[in-house]
Amino acid sequence: MLRLPLFRAISRSNGRLTSAVCFHNSAANQQQPQQQPELIELFIDDKPVQVPPGTTVLKAAAMVGVEIPRFCYHERLAIAGNCRMCLVEIEKQVKPVAACAMPVMKGWRVKTNSALTRKAREGVMEFLLVNHPLDCPICDQGGECDLQDQSMAFGNDRSRFTDINFSGKRAVEDKDLGPLIKTVMTRCIHCTRCIRFASEVAGVDDLGTTGRGNEMQVGTYVEKLFMSEVSGNIIDLCPVGALTSKPYAFVARPWENHRTDSIDVHDAVGSNIVVSHRTGEVLRILPRVNEDVNEEWLADKARFSYDGLKRQRLITPMLKIDGKLQNVEWEDALVAAARALQDLPPNKCAAIAGCMADAEVLVAVKDLVNTLDSELLTTEQEFPKSGAGVDLRSNYLLNNKIANVEHADVILLIGTNPRFEAPLVNTRIRKGYLHREQNVAVIGPKLDLTYDHENLGQSPDIISQIKSGSHPFCEVLKNAKKPMIILGADVLTRKDGDKILAETQSLCKNIEKTVKTDADWKVFNILHTNASQVTALDVGYAASLEEVKKAKPSVLFLLGADENIKKEDFGESCIIYVGSHGDNGAQIADIVLPGAAYTEKTATYVNMEGRAQLTNAAITPPGMARPDWKIIRALSEIAGHRLPYDDLHELRDRIAEIAPHLVNYGEVEPSNFLKQVYELAKTTQGSFLPDPIDIKQKSLDQFFMTNAISRASPTMAKCVQAVQKQKQV
Amino acid sequence: MAKALGLDKLVNFFRSIKHNGGILGSLRTLYRVDELKFGDLIGEDKYGNKYYENNMYFYGRNRWVIYSPRVHMNYDASQVPAEWYGWLHYKTDLPPFKDPSRPKYKWMVDHTPNLSGTNKAYMPYSTVKTKIQAWQPKD
Repeated sequence: MLRLPLFRAISRSNGRLTSAVCFHNSAANQQQPQQQPELIELFIDDKPVQVPPGTTVLKAAAMVGVEIPRFCYHERLAIAGNCRMCLVEIEKQVKPVAACAMPVMKGWRVKTNSALTRKAREGVMEFLLVNHPLDCPICDQGGECDLQDQSMAFGNDRSRFTDINFSGKRAVEDKDLGPLIKTVMTRCIHCTRCIRFASEVAGVDDLGTTGRGNEMQVGTYVEKLFMSEVSGNIIDLCPVGALTSKPYAFVARPWENHRTDSIDVHDAVGSNIVVSHRTGEVLRILPRVNEDVNEEWLADKARFSYDGLKRQRLITPMLKIDGKLQNVEWEDALVAAARALQDLPPNKCAAIAGCMADAEVLVAVKDLVNTLDSELLTTEQEFPKSGAGVDLRSNYLLNNKIANVEHADVILLIGTNPRFEAPLVNTRIRKGYLHREQNVAVIGPKLDLTYDHENLGQSPDIISQIKSGSHPFCEVLKNAKKPMIILGADVLTRKDGDKILAETQSLCKNIEKTVKTDADWKVFNILHTNASQVTALDVGYAASLEEVKKAKPSVLFLLGADENIKKEDFGESCIIYVGSHGDNGAQIADIVLPGAAYTEKTATYVNMEGRAQLTNAAITPPGMARPDWKIIRALSEIAGHRLPYDDLHELRDRIAEIAPHLVNYGEVEPSNFLKQVYELAKTTQGSFLPDPIDIKQKSLDQFFMTNAISRASPTMAKCVQAVQKQKQV
Repeated sequence: MAKALGLDKLVNFFRSIKHNGGILGSLRTLYRVDELKFGDLIGEDKYGNKYYENNMYFYGRNRWVIYSPRVHMNYDASQVPAEWYGWLHYKTDLPPFKDPSRPKYKWMVDHTPNLSGTNKAYMPYSTVKTKIQAWQPKD
């Protein structure tokens, strides 16, 4: 474990490691001004720069725009200082020093382009290249390889390597890290970025080095799978082609791909991604830096499930004819759907939003259903109606924002496993655990969260016990300065979900009374699992699944809803499925209208903290599929209830009418009215059920396939198989 | 004398008009093939194409075909059947009905003109696996 007393001592005493490791804490850090220490002045290439003490030479150089080459150094990982590429000359120093690890001293004159510096770099580069294979033409890293780029920029222009036919280069056996990561270990330059990522961020101490000198190897000691939900990030971290993506092997070169910025919808984090695509196919998905959401990491489900976009797709409208779904033209399908919508009595048309529905279609369907005199709109994952319900946003948001999770000192997780429900929230918690002495406790089943935590038990009564102060954990909470309670969204779908929500809220109220927190520090948080959930609650999908079932609707819209929906519950309904993938929902539908997946439409998604973000259409929807809201718009016209918007801009205007923050992209509307939420929670009646709090995703194999896209993905299926095989060993 | 005065051109002109069926017929021919010629009718194939020869025209222009009026403006060189092709292109001087060496069997297929642009045109189909796999409903 990384969290050693020594590590704490170092990071506390001079603050060097802390500042080095947590430099990137961005806006969140600036919110709480610490007393500014005296600045140190030094000169980089004769340019003066003032930096706080403890800053490394490399960072000081970056401040004046001087880029020092590096392989092992990475801003978000601990400093290793073993590649020696960042050697620079410092005046009146005997030897060149490694800029990435050396804290600055007053009055230093750093020369990043002197003869000595250049000689040192060229020497390091020569040593690296002596044992690096010359297989760039068949290497998947080609074009985005740090070694390629830096040998061009900083290497020598002559080669002294003449040994091609004699003893050959050093060769290393490839490792098997599972179905996602391809290894060509001969290319490894021992920067140890992957090792540091695994032990610091992923929290899986599987990778390490064996041997020393020329015999040094990076590997897993014994052959085993790299069992992490964020394993794909070591592909991005690897500066050479030693670790590359297995599904993307030999598919394309980076310079021939088109790149479209987008948002991931596999979980409610709303990670920023780049979709690489060519010839109308999504070739790979990479993370995009957003310090407030995903930093620069991406979960494996988001990164590798893109091959699910090509399988099990709905590409033609379908109609149930003679008890079988058969392909038809758009006209026939829309006319059939419109006929079903004719002359409906009030409250006979319902809609259930699936986990990947976007704001546009949610609003279009809501408008259509409302014009048909119905309020039966719900999400497939229910949210309790009692208390504040969906009327106050604070009732269902991660109020404290994702970036602030790492600043908490006590976190209580109730009925959630952030490691699999929101891997990038979990890496934040782990960061807080490592660098800020965070205490984590869980109410729920036994979990492996990658950090030490206390399991308080599984009974929901524990929430009441903590509230009343009779639980030993209260002592920890009392001493907290920034406590956070994170409540899983899944646990609220229980029969006593409203009671759990109300009890947690009154617990939060008690904590806020006893603990003096900042005014903008929010104790009560909900961790969602579905990308569409917050959007749906924002626009007013307020009914419950039970109500919809009881109303026996004549027409039921499923917006990609596949979970928890059974044909028996809606025996008399005409089920209209609008979605991109054929799954449980399409199977029970009477009319299937093929929609677009998230890479094929420009759509709005709101993440669990309430941040509206926009996906961009990278490719066109396959076959006859169309963007979902257009389908609803066309249907409304044929049904005789024309929706008053013809293009995306008009629709966005309409969305802004309902909820202005939904079109305020990239921003979080600060959540407020939390006091009122706590007050309203008092109105909730009922009691806890005796059954223990359970969590759906407890182990890694349950993480990979959770929605229609990942269920259709062969890569994800391979991952599940590999993890299950590893478990048996 | 008549030649020197260019009167034979005039004679040929009137012959052409007569050959093409008067003024109206000549205008129709001009519209259709952009050329007014006269010559001996050598033969007609079963599709209605008529083959002419007039050695007064120089070699290369002295044998020609007037396509069947049924095709109107949609005539095409591929409408000349194989048996007349040889005569029209000077591979032989014997028209098909005078050539004893041409075999005729029952199993020989009928001539087909080029079908490009019609709905019977040859269309190759893709043998590449589709990029998108469609969902098949379970029964």
